[in-house]
Amino acid sequence: MYDVCIIGSGAGGSPIAYELANAGFKVVVLEKGENYAEKDFSKDELGVSRRDMFTPPLNEQKHVINEYAKDGTFTTYDGEKSGWNFWNGSMVGGSSNLMSGYFHRMKPNDFRLKSAYGDIKGANVVDWPISYEKLEPYYAKVEKVVGVSGRVIKHKRQEPRSSPDFPYPELETNGVVKWFDKACFELGFESLPTPRAVLSGDALGRAGCYYSNFCGSYGCSSGAKGSARAALLQKCDAKIITDAFVYKLVSDKSKVTHAHYYTKHGFSHSIEAKIFVLAAQAIESSRLLLNSKNRHFPNGLANSSGELGKNLIFSAGGSGSGRFIFENLTMRQQKELMQTGLFFNRSLQDWYEYEEDGETRKGGTIDFLFEHQNIISRVKREMYDESGGLIWGQALVDKVHKTITTSRVLTFEVFNDWLPTDNCNVGVDENVKDKYGVPVGVINLNGHSHDLKVGESLAKKAVEVLKKMGAVEIDYSISSSPPPNLVAGGCRFGDDPKTSVLDKNCKAHDLKNLYVSDASFMPTGGSVPYTWTIYANSFRVAEAIARELN
Amino acid sequence: MNSRRIFLKAGFLSTAIFVMNGCELFSVTTSQDTIRVLQNDLFPQAKKLGVETSRYIEIILRHARVSEEDKKFIKNGVKWLNEESVLMYKTTYVKLLVSDREEVLNAISKKKWGRSFMKEMTSYLFEAMLGDPIYGGNNNEAGWKWLKFTGGNPRPKEAYL
Repeated sequence: MYDVCIIGSGAGGSPIAYELANAGFKVVVLEKGENYAEKDFSKDELGVSRRDMFTPPLNEQKHVINEYAKDGTFTTYDGEKSGWNFWNGSMVGGSSNLMSGYFHRMKPNDFRLKSAYGDIKGANVVDWPISYEKLEPYYAKVEKVVGVSGRVIKHKRQEPRSSPDFPYPELETNGVVKWFDKACFELGFESLPTPRAVLSGDALGRAGCYYSNFCGSYGCSSGAKGSARAALLQKCDAKIITDAFVYKLVSDKSKVTHAHYYTKHGFSHSIEAKIFVLAAQAIESSRLLLNSKNRHFPNGLANSSGELGKNLIFSAGGSGSGRFIFENLTMRQQKELMQTGLFFNRSLQDWYEYEEDGETRKGGTIDFLFEHQNIISRVKREMYDESGGLIWGQALVDKVHKTITTSRVLTFEVFNDWLPTDNCNVGVDENVKDKYGVPVGVINLNGHSHDLKVGESLAKKAVEVLKKMGAVEIDYSISSSPPPNLVAGGCRFGDDPKTSVLDKNCKAHDLKNLYVSDASFMPTGGSVPYTWTIYANSFRVAEAIARELN
Repeated sequence: MNSRRIFLKAGFLSTAIFVMNGCELFSVTTSQDTIRVLQNDLFPQAKKLGVETSRYIEIILRHARVSEEDKKFIKNGVKWLNEESVLMYKTTYVKLLVSDREEVLNAISKKKWGRSFMKEMTSYLFEAMLGDPIYGGNNNEAGWKWLKFTGGNPRPKEAYL
């Protein structure tokens, strides 16, 4: 029997595997996908970005999606027919292999959103059962163990830190960053170097970044990116079983006893362990627990509260862009603009909290980055004229050549709270099965109108910067469209077993030996990408499990 | 439209398409010829660069990660393009004058299927021309060089099919 069985090998599961295996416990990790090492990754746009080689085919594994409108009605989408894909990376290390690694900590008020900003009608906002101060040592641990590069500067939204600066120096940046810093200075905004989970030099037994120009969406060939695989699983001797899709957790009334999994050929296997840790990513973790219902838990495992699957959240906000064209630039500026490989790495958090309409509102983060270098995607965007009409022939040839060779797009991404609501949750559809014969997850989607207001306010600030920098064709889109790679909730943690699935250590209230350590635990998500918080919390949970095993 | 039928035989790209009007044979063409001429009309630079884009469609039609619906749409699109050509000019697309082909494209670009088909065929052309050379289209990185683009490293050791 194993001491610990972890389901899912991404950012939620790997810190626990790393800590407990290195402490001498017998740990097994069950991963649905395949294993890849640095040597297996390439910058193949067709394979990675156009043919989705790292996610399951939708004709084999899909979701049913119900998108809610303001009036409470909803439209149902079949994931396969619509192509709406909520998979992020089925592989050892999960989607952390493919992340861009924009790492921001949540801020103290993110842990007490309700106390700090009050109720919002129609939103199920609650405070976290732990404070920022409780999680801070683990944020610091992630910086050192996973590897976060950056430069701390003093600014009005800087969260308290236990160390003065990042352990790894910031990555090199493109010359256009100077234009950005100047524009921000003139506008009175504070330009912040974006911390990245990317090593700027050789460290931790991994090679430093080689500035491939293709970071986000791609696996890292040097190991510089702090994926759960490169940073943690390759640094411990936890047993990893790939091709293992866990379809059911078996329990008695107080403990999980077995995890049953299928291989891709349909063979069923079983694992016994003292402790089970679920970290299959938010949607799939809720789905597994719902599919594991039994006579003790007829509404889903660990669901005596009825809260399982509820309050699914994403990152709200949206994105925008502006284009810099040669006609408006000096020769030197043109050269700086077209410098490839180096990062942009700038963020704004001036409006993490702001005043509007006489009230203090929670705002968010704006990250700036160059348009992804995927050439096919960039060229495809040129197929339309100004009025949206299709163009072809020599007109298209000329447009493509001019746009790609004499201009470059700077984009921004807005991150603000996706407020938890009743109509945003995970269920299962007993009538729709995946290739394993297991009921698929149902994703009910609903965005709160408040999210859009905040996103709009932030996007307008980003537009000011782009204008000041001299960009043209400035545009942005704030919507309730959920980013599939920024998903959390469904098993919120809390002190009250009647209103939460997990306790403050992410152990199920209902079961003595079941933990959930992916982003499912988060009752609210902060206004930053989630990965750093998932890592930090998982290191914290690892300590709780170690205490229990000892 | 009811007076004509187009028979698509097995072996989509290379097998003849017989364009009929009742019992009367209008013409014979192949899907590959249609696609080659169409893609040159959509984005002539590829041919100038020596990039053979129509063969790439074979990869797409066999690809495990391209849906059957998308594959069917390519096949139907070729058929419907030739039907439109016959309707407008009484012969297949490849036998039309350049100016007549342009008129056919103008006509179908105003139809939902036609606009989608033109977008899809242009997208696949871009994939062939700007994907990694290992897929057989972007020979000697001609497409990348034309756009002063440097592919990322490491390059794939094999095509993902």
